[in-house]
Amino acid sequence: MMNFDQAEDKDGVRFSWNVWPTSRVEATLHAANERHCATHLPVHRRHLSARRRTPSADRLAHHVALAAPRELVRRSDHLWFDGAVLGSPETFNLVSKRFLVPVGECEFNLTSILEEIQKDPCRVSSDKRPQRATGIAFSVAASLLQAVAPNTGARIMAFIGGPATVGLGLVVGEDLKEPIRSHHDIIKYKAKHSSKAYLHYKSIAEQAVSGGHVIDIFSCSLDQVGLYEMREMVKMTGGFMVLADGFFHPMFQQSFQKIFTRDTEHQFNMGYNADIQISTSRYLKVCGAIGHLSSLNVQSPNVSENEIGIGGTSSWKVCGLDQNSTFAFYFEVANQHTNPIAPDQPGLIQFITTYQNSQGKRILRVTTVRRDWSDTANESNDSVSMLANGFDQETSAALMARLAVFKAETEELPDITRWLDKMLIRLVSKYADFRKDDPRSFKLAPNFAIYPHFMFHLRRSNFLQAFNNSPDESSFYRFMLNRENVSNTLIMIQPTLEKYSFNGPPEPVALSATSITSDTILLLDTFFHVLIFHGETIAKWRKEGYDKNPQYQNFKDLLQAPKDDANAILRDRFPYPRYIDCDQHSGEARFLLATIDPNLTHVSNAQQDPTKGEVVFTDDVNLHVFLEHLKKFAVQS
Amino acid sequence: MSFYVATIQFDWYRRKKADRLYNKNAKILFLGLDNAGKTTLLGVLKDGRLSQNRPTFHPKMPVNISQTYDLGGHETARRLWKDYYTSVDAIVFMVDSSAPQRFEESKRELDALLSSDELSNVPFLILGNKIDIAGTSEEKFRASMGLTQTTGKDKVPLNPGVRPIEVFMCSVVRRFGYGDGFRWLSNYIN
Repeated sequence: MMNFDQAEDKDGVRFSWNVWPTSRVEATLHAANERHCATHLPVHRRHLSARRRTPSADRLAHHVALAAPRELVRRSDHLWFDGAVLGSPETFNLVSKRFLVPVGECEFNLTSILEEIQKDPCRVSSDKRPQRATGIAFSVAASLLQAVAPNTGARIMAFIGGPATVGLGLVVGEDLKEPIRSHHDIIKYKAKHSSKAYLHYKSIAEQAVSGGHVIDIFSCSLDQVGLYEMREMVKMTGGFMVLADGFFHPMFQQSFQKIFTRDTEHQFNMGYNADIQISTSRYLKVCGAIGHLSSLNVQSPNVSENEIGIGGTSSWKVCGLDQNSTFAFYFEVANQHTNPIAPDQPGLIQFITTYQNSQGKRILRVTTVRRDWSDTANESNDSVSMLANGFDQETSAALMARLAVFKAETEELPDITRWLDKMLIRLVSKYADFRKDDPRSFKLAPNFAIYPHFMFHLRRSNFLQAFNNSPDESSFYRFMLNRENVSNTLIMIQPTLEKYSFNGPPEPVALSATSITSDTILLLDTFFHVLIFHGETIAKWRKEGYDKNPQYQNFKDLLQAPKDDANAILRDRFPYPRYIDCDQHSGEARFLLATIDPNLTHVSNAQQDPTKGEVVFTDDVNLHVFLEHLKKFAVQS
Repeated sequence: MSFYVATIQFDWYRRKKADRLYNKNAKILFLGLDNAGKTTLLGVLKDGRLSQNRPTFHPKMPVNISQTYDLGGHETARRLWKDYYTSVDAIVFMVDSSAPQRFEESKRELDALLSSDELSNVPFLILGNKIDIAGTSEEKFRASMGLTQTTGKDKVPLNPGVRPIEVFMCSVVRRFGYGDGFRWLSNYIN
């Protein structure tokens, strides 16, 4: 079995298939992923942190803060880049360099202005929303940056506390009688401002891309602010998107501070104004890319006509990069079945990335990866097993998830679910071992075995379910899925569950109702939520104060262990997740119950036995039933 | 401590021809403490399926029902409820009847709603949910919530200025009780 992680550590590249078929015919037979896909982290950890930098006096990255709340700017003013240039909303009215000065020259004045800002004395009527001209503010900020820093790394950071209600880009009217659009309105074309607002923000995104500028959105509100309409500005420019309950919530504050983390050489871990170009050896063509990038419309001979994601080009622009930025590229084999590929002609893909570091220095990074062709001379089962051995189920799941989410921009969710099912059935019927029409004989090799589980969880996930998600929430979740590397994407698709008990060291357990027992503690990580769940008995002992009795030190240690692990996750994660500490049967435990495979339900299990799991009140299909159906369809002749 | 609001327009009745709320385009707020079962009820109303949901954060609306908003969270979240009061036709207030330790908290929030000027004439349907779990009696529930005086479960003509308010015990999971409540409510929505 190949070790895909090692290859990723070395190159920053992972492929869904690591042995390539030699012709399109063979590739089409190649079930689930007709085309080869790769995820690529252009800015490698080592690359950013170990590179030696010399201070450069020329162009520095510019930052413009858009409508930042006073407390926020004051608290974090020590975080501003040395090269940051600050403008207030008033100065945005006057597009001129005269009104922008380096932070060093205006720091004192700025601080005193911030100190003196009073809350807006204008009262908003109780049946109205506050007036917000967010769309105009973005236009002005983007034009301003275009004027002062064309084709230079720069970012607009927008701190948004409510929806745009006036001017271009408004997402809801001022009148509270008019509710903000929902998924339902959008599907039924009843969201009256959405399309217009979307186009407005998209045009700003295009302007920012042309200047190499990043747009970040910090949505800090209990209600929606219009992320759904504004999303392209962040997606196309590779910015940061944070969704928090408010400006005082740690989900905002911790995330914001994390952006300004410096490396050991006191430099920011950010790349700007990048482009990624892909070269391929003969017989390989690039179909497209999915991630936070924009097409540069470079029509080279290795560009496939079969567009997947953002295609029709071999180069893409990425305005903002950091260590987590990961891009998915989709390739195809362009070779006739009759034309054998000689073994000495390797399959090569080259990723050529240039970017500007936070000091303005231009960095070039080239990654060339090679994979073998399957043995064309031998069309027996050996060829199939060679391909099968090269299957990386984790990368495949991440790439399929990106494709599904990309489709969600234009297709209806039930159709996407059906498409995922179809692709899964095709994959397993090609690579599983079974006798025709005998589901019981169905068997998957270990490097395929978990793939259906990933698909099961992906179908039920927030990425593909609109119920109980607002359009803003869906936009945020999908945005994050398109940003992260394979292992983080897998956490999002199939969250991890760790069990802590007196019976041994912490251990990962199945994400299912049967893993919930009264005498254990569970730690759930969904990437967006980190939750500690105390079983009923544990919670009872804690309420009785056993952890405070020195005689029960081991109980105290047991309570502490998941907290330490949760803190380690919170420390590294961006954006800062929602942290929940709860007990069994509490309202917050629903975060866990909604995530797990409901293999015990009120229907399946009349008698509840608390040592064997927790009953979930749902009609949802569980993993077992899903897999049984899969087997049935896969073995059909 | 959390609180949720939901509003709902009675679109789904268009599919239930027999129902008396048929074609009534009413805006109804679903309110109640977290974990009362509002989202679950809305899921069942949406497509008849029971689902296990995460706690709700953004106000939102299940597909097929034109407006449904759940808002979540702490003290600050309550500022949001008011945003949804405008032109409301009815309030459905849900309580988890299997959690008596939270009746006091529920009652406090309900009392605040009942005394709100903006909602002064708005009908209130109180749903005591989850009776399948603890089997709290309606009598005990009414006493705990301070709802011994209500306007009556039948279609009662009320004097102008009297707010219709009534309690119905229900189980969303077992799918009973709330239907009677909505039928009662339909008498008071124009």
